[in-house]
Amino acid sequence: MPIDYLVNGYYNDYTLTMWSIQKGGLNVSVLETKLLTKHYGKARGIENVSINIEKGEIFGFIGPNGAGKSTTIRTLLGFLKPSGGSARIFGLDCFSRGREIKARLGYVPAEVSYYGDMRVKELLEYSAAFYGKSSNGSESKKGRINELCEIFGVEIDKRMDSLSYGNKKKVAIVQALLHEPELLIFDEPTGGLDPLVQNSFFEVLRKEKSKGTTIFFSSHVLSEVEKMCDRVAIIKEGRILRTESIEKLRGNRYRKLKLDHTPDSKPDVSGLPGVTSLRSGSGYTEFMYNGDINALLGALALTRLDNVCIEEPSLEEIFMHYYSKGE
Amino acid sequence: MTLFLRELNRNSRSFIIWTTSLVTSSVLMMLLFPYMQTNIAEMMKDMTGSMPEGMVSALNLGLDFSKVLPFFAYLFQYIILFSAIYAMLLGAGILSREEGEKTVEFLLAKPVTRNGIITSKLSCLLVYLVVFNLIFAAADYAAIRIVSEQDFSIKLFILLHFGQLLIQFVFALTGLLISVFVTRTATIYPLSVGVVLLMYFISIISGISGKLGDLKYLTPFEYAMPADIVRTGGIEPVCYVIIGALIVACTAGTYVFYNRKDIRA
Repeated sequence: MPIDYLVNGYYNDYTLTMWSIQKGGLNVSVLETKLLTKHYGKARGIENVSINIEKGEIFGFIGPNGAGKSTTIRTLLGFLKPSGGSARIFGLDCFSRGREIKARLGYVPAEVSYYGDMRVKELLEYSAAFYGKSSNGSESKKGRINELCEIFGVEIDKRMDSLSYGNKKKVAIVQALLHEPELLIFDEPTGGLDPLVQNSFFEVLRKEKSKGTTIFFSSHVLSEVEKMCDRVAIIKEGRILRTESIEKLRGNRYRKLKLDHTPDSKPDVSGLPGVTSLRSGSGYTEFMYNGDINALLGALALTRLDNVCIEEPSLEEIFMHYYSKGE
Repeated sequence: MTLFLRELNRNSRSFIIWTTSLVTSSVLMMLLFPYMQTNIAEMMKDMTGSMPEGMVSALNLGLDFSKVLPFFAYLFQYIILFSAIYAMLLGAGILSREEGEKTVEFLLAKPVTRNGIITSKLSCLLVYLVVFNLIFAAADYAAIRIVSEQDFSIKLFILLHFGQLLIQFVFALTGLLISVFVTRTATIYPLSVGVVLLMYFISIISGISGKLGDLKYLTPFEYAMPADIVRTGGIEPVCYVIIGALIVACTAGTYVFYNRKDIRA
């Protein structure tokens, strides 16, 4: 039992959390969904989505368009009412304590539509006003607006409706970072950003991470997920296929094999455990393999090959592998 | 408070335009009174004599137009039609605009509750409608004093404007409730104007025929019809009850259904 309990005769989420941190055993979950489900009408929503994001990690949420990434995020933020399951952020129920949660998070939508009649500066000040007077005064708030706008090259005096898609996105990113939230939720944040700005964006994310900020971002661009994330959840047709650390995904020891051979000396690998995505034509055989490497070499030694090529697949191929398996 | 102030600011332009144009119309029409006062009574008698009785009562032509307050009340019923359109558009737009323009994704990501959003917007609505009628009453009072030295009942004069305020409340809150379900800008505004015009039409119909007289309880315009206020000296108690019930029902409905709905930007 936590010492607070013994002294004060009560405990709450906070003391329990602190207790776990002191014990050093448990990781602190910042965002947790259990069997979260959202149906709307006939359209597919999400089905039994369970994810768990720990404090200080960058968590990627990856899947093709329409897989349910935005639906999940919008349900977490309370825009959509869940059909089932539960969701907690900072240990608070997303559907009854949304206001407290939102005071501590920043959100960037996939498609930014902010008040067209406002200038960028007004919008940022309006946004900041919702978070009340922080411990640092309004002067430093202005300082932070200017600092962030400089990093992203946001023109502060322009009207929102005169901005391009990418420039609106930048304003949304600044708006989300402004109040120094503990959790950042980005829905396809890099869409519309040029490579230079993308780099500054990732630089800022790294800085936020080093401060202990937790980051959850959805994407369908694998390279950025690969570059930034500690862990990823793969979503397809509303269901989570897999949640895995990037390292482990890569370390799954999948190998891509290409064999060249004469048309009649086709090696028989179909019976080998660990062979998937087998394709062969006259003179070549290709497959993915994650079984025992000695068994494979043994099987290959039985036939005459012209050439063999063993590659580590790119993350992209690993994902395609998951999608095509459709599990 | 942040949202409330933003709403005041955001709706100020339309408020200024509507208030200026309607107050100006009302005042300008009152300025005609001295020219009409002398021969209008005679003229109206000739005109209404040849009209069917239902028509005369439906259009409230039976008032004594040589008196300043009945004259004002007659004109004011047309002003109220436009005030009602303004109120309905304001109510229908204030909440749905966030969804129509997809800015709701910004708002809902802030530390606000949906109830908080409604309360801020509702407060803005109330403030604007009250200020609208205060400006109206002041301008009309000045106009009447300029054109006529007749004595008139201040109580009835205030009641006419209070009636306008009540009618506006009913339409604004109806608009607010409808806008929870219909959020597309291209649909909600024409729909709002259509509802107001339909109600006005019912109001005229109910005046034409005695048989259809009970229809008048269907339309907010009849709850505080200026001609009736001048003629009977007040607003029927049953109308206060209906207005109160409608205001409560629309407000409660807005809170309940807005909290339940999926907001898809």
